[in-house]
Amino acid sequence: MTSTTTLPGEIVPAQHPNLKLGPGLLQSISGTSDSATIVSTRAGELQHSANRSKWWIESNARRYVPAAQESVIGQISGRAGEGYRVDIGGAHNASLDGLAFEGATKRNRPNLKVNSLVYARVSLAHKDMEPELECFDAQTRKAEGFGELKGGFVVKCSLGMSRRLLDPNHFLLPLLGSRFPLECAVGMNGRIWVDTKSAQNTIIVARCIEAADPDGGGLDEADVNKLLNGIQS
Amino acid sequence: MRPPSPSIPEREFALSALQQSMRIDGRTLLEIRPINLTFGPALGCVECELGKTRVLAFIDSKMIKPPEERPLEGIISIHSEISPMASSAYETGRPSDEEVAITRMLEKVLRRSDAVDRESLCIVAGQRVWHLRLTLHFLADAGNMLDCACLAAVAALRHFRRPEVEVVGEDVITYDPSERPPIPLAMHHTPYVLTFALFPFASTPAPQQTKLSSTHVPTPQLANSSITAVLDPSPLEASLLPSSSPSLLSLALTPQRELCVVNKAGGVPVSPEEFLWLVKVAEERVREVEACLEGGLLKAKAEAEGIGSL
Amino acid sequence: MGSRVEILNDGGYRSDGRRQFELRDIAIDLSRHGQADGSAMYTQGLTEVLVTVFGPREAKLRSQTIHNRANINVEVNIAAFSTGERRKRSRGDKRILELGAAIKSTFEPVIQTHLYPRSQIDIFVQVLQQDGGLLSAAINATTLALITAGIPLFDYVCAVSSGVHSTHAMLDLTTLEENDVPHLTVAVMPRTGKITLVTLETRLHSDRFEEVFRIACEAGKVLHEEMRNAIKARTSALARAMGEGHPAGAPSNREGDEDFEMGDD
Repeated sequence: MTSTTTLPGEIVPAQHPNLKLGPGLLQSISGTSDSATIVSTRAGELQHSANRSKWWIESNARRYVPAAQESVIGQISGRAGEGYRVDIGGAHNASLDGLAFEGATKRNRPNLKVNSLVYARVSLAHKDMEPELECFDAQTRKAEGFGELKGGFVVKCSLGMSRRLLDPNHFLLPLLGSRFPLECAVGMNGRIWVDTKSAQNTIIVARCIEAADPDGGGLDEADVNKLLNGIQS
Repeated sequence: MRPPSPSIPEREFALSALQQSMRIDGRTLLEIRPINLTFGPALGCVECELGKTRVLAFIDSKMIKPPEERPLEGIISIHSEISPMASSAYETGRPSDEEVAITRMLEKVLRRSDAVDRESLCIVAGQRVWHLRLTLHFLADAGNMLDCACLAAVAALRHFRRPEVEVVGEDVITYDPSERPPIPLAMHHTPYVLTFALFPFASTPAPQQTKLSSTHVPTPQLANSSITAVLDPSPLEASLLPSSSPSLLSLALTPQRELCVVNKAGGVPVSPEEFLWLVKVAEERVREVEACLEGGLLKAKAEAEGIGSL
Repeated sequence: MGSRVEILNDGGYRSDGRRQFELRDIAIDLSRHGQADGSAMYTQGLTEVLVTVFGPREAKLRSQTIHNRANINVEVNIAAFSTGERRKRSRGDKRILELGAAIKSTFEPVIQTHLYPRSQIDIFVQVLQQDGGLLSAAINATTLALITAGIPLFDYVCAVSSGVHSTHAMLDLTTLEENDVPHLTVAVMPRTGKITLVTLETRLHSDRFEEVFRIACEAGKVLHEEMRNAIKARTSALARAMGEGHPAGAPSNREGDEDFEMGDD
């Protein structure tokens, strides 16, 4: 996968019969010619899939814009009738129905306190409407890790960092996991929940995430190793 | 817009980490974040960074007629308004509680404690005095803006040079900086502000010594304390305390062990011994801050002279 | 200005005739004041402060409610005639705002706010006369007013000001002394002896500070006795009145307070 740096407004040479445009690319139909040109709207690296049918711009940001099917970590900001209002870091608070949990019935609903954390999936994210969340997997209707997050700690990072942490080839989480057991939930809204057995290990994880964040330290594997040896000696 | 309060896991984790004398950014309980002072091209323009908190201070001067009740002293006025640029918690126009606290503290530290000798700002008694205007811009709020703002203000006062003036009979001749070098301000003392956040539980010492920086100063320990004190609190630490106005203790002191301002407005009660211990800790830490400021000023002076000699 | 007044003369007497560690006369009036749930008029020397407390009651603004505690709102008003020269102060005066904020944060951990979630407790401080020791008088008056309002507190808060004049420590300063001498205000919770509030605005060396600080802490306990006696007197009057079945009597008998018979209509 080759990648080149693209600035907003540049024309992107993307051609394919079944062309799919990802984030950061816009199809603009110019008045004179009858072919549509693909224009970049963000500054970042232009990337495409192997068969050149999917194109997108890889850029970093800190503010989350909700998109459907993304897993996010939300903080309950209040109750709204039968459900909850959840702050996911976007422009609007999302709504989470009280029944959108595994095994919830009208009589048996989870009782979440204000300011508690949930790991949820964005089920509806339309730019004109408030986003909606669900705490179970779409097909299986089982929790699959969604639901209330108890204990642990939340680290805030940039959106690009959370995407990298979800990449199975990224170095950070396996590196930390090799040193001590840890449990973590990665939210695509730039929030990462971690839980380890000791407070010190949790602090180490938080500092490493901040250090490896391209927006923050931008350290690579060797530097993170050095940092870890420094802290843990 | 009030910032969202921390989530339950964040609160509980931060509190339990503090009980084990650990802080989330890896500092020890009584460690200040690294300070970085950038002296601007103009004299009296300083940007102070305390960790990620940034405050810009700027001083300019002009000559005015003094008010009747104080004909022999110059005037120092402080303008500090926190714009929403610092954080979305602040609104323009309406001063929030924190802004009132910072402005009042700055007034007390710089004006009431007479840091600058106002009589030396008098040019012609009853006719002309210097009016120094200190303006503070709060660029980024990553916790503890008060300490950062006071350090920026003090650094600006030390860095500033006023034009030299000569009184010949009735006339006042102002010399351009290129004709005669401008004069520094006469300061009685240099106050530094340190803020502690106090928590109502005792803490056990840290499990293992983390690697400390070379400037770490060993602190006197206090036995049988029922409070935990944290120096230079981060925003999460400052928001952990149950009440909306956190339990903060701000001390303004000089390296000569004189206290200029003490402000502990309510919050966690402390015993007299614990309080006096906090004062001692502050006295130790002030020396570190002073070293930063003096070092920064020397460097700025060397750079200015280097440029001047080209 | 004429000759300077001596702060402390050779005989050990201060400008108003007191000795070094002597507090000014304290007068406490806890009679009911209008519609307030609790009120106290506290006079220390020439400084006079009236505090009225309303609450816990429904919050005026929904946005200011806290879901698990009561919200405390303090408003301070300094009368224009309170000082020697008439000076009108605006509501937004930073000094006044700071005084209010100090009182609020002093009492937030002292009032048992967790008992009244989503409600509001209003504390109105009216300064009628000031001659030094304003913050300490306001804090003492607030403590008394909260007690008369029946709001549960963890402890009293007793405040006193103290200063040092060339190595001689002094307690309870007047305005004349405050303008001349470095001084501080300390508020102490007498049951545990711990300090809730310390403010110092004038330069003072650390060693001097320690002396003055310790003395002020001790003085707070003396004030506690005075306040306790006043509250005790009022409470026993109340208890007596309740026991005898009469409407609750104020310590001072006011005219026109007797029962009057309603005629049959």
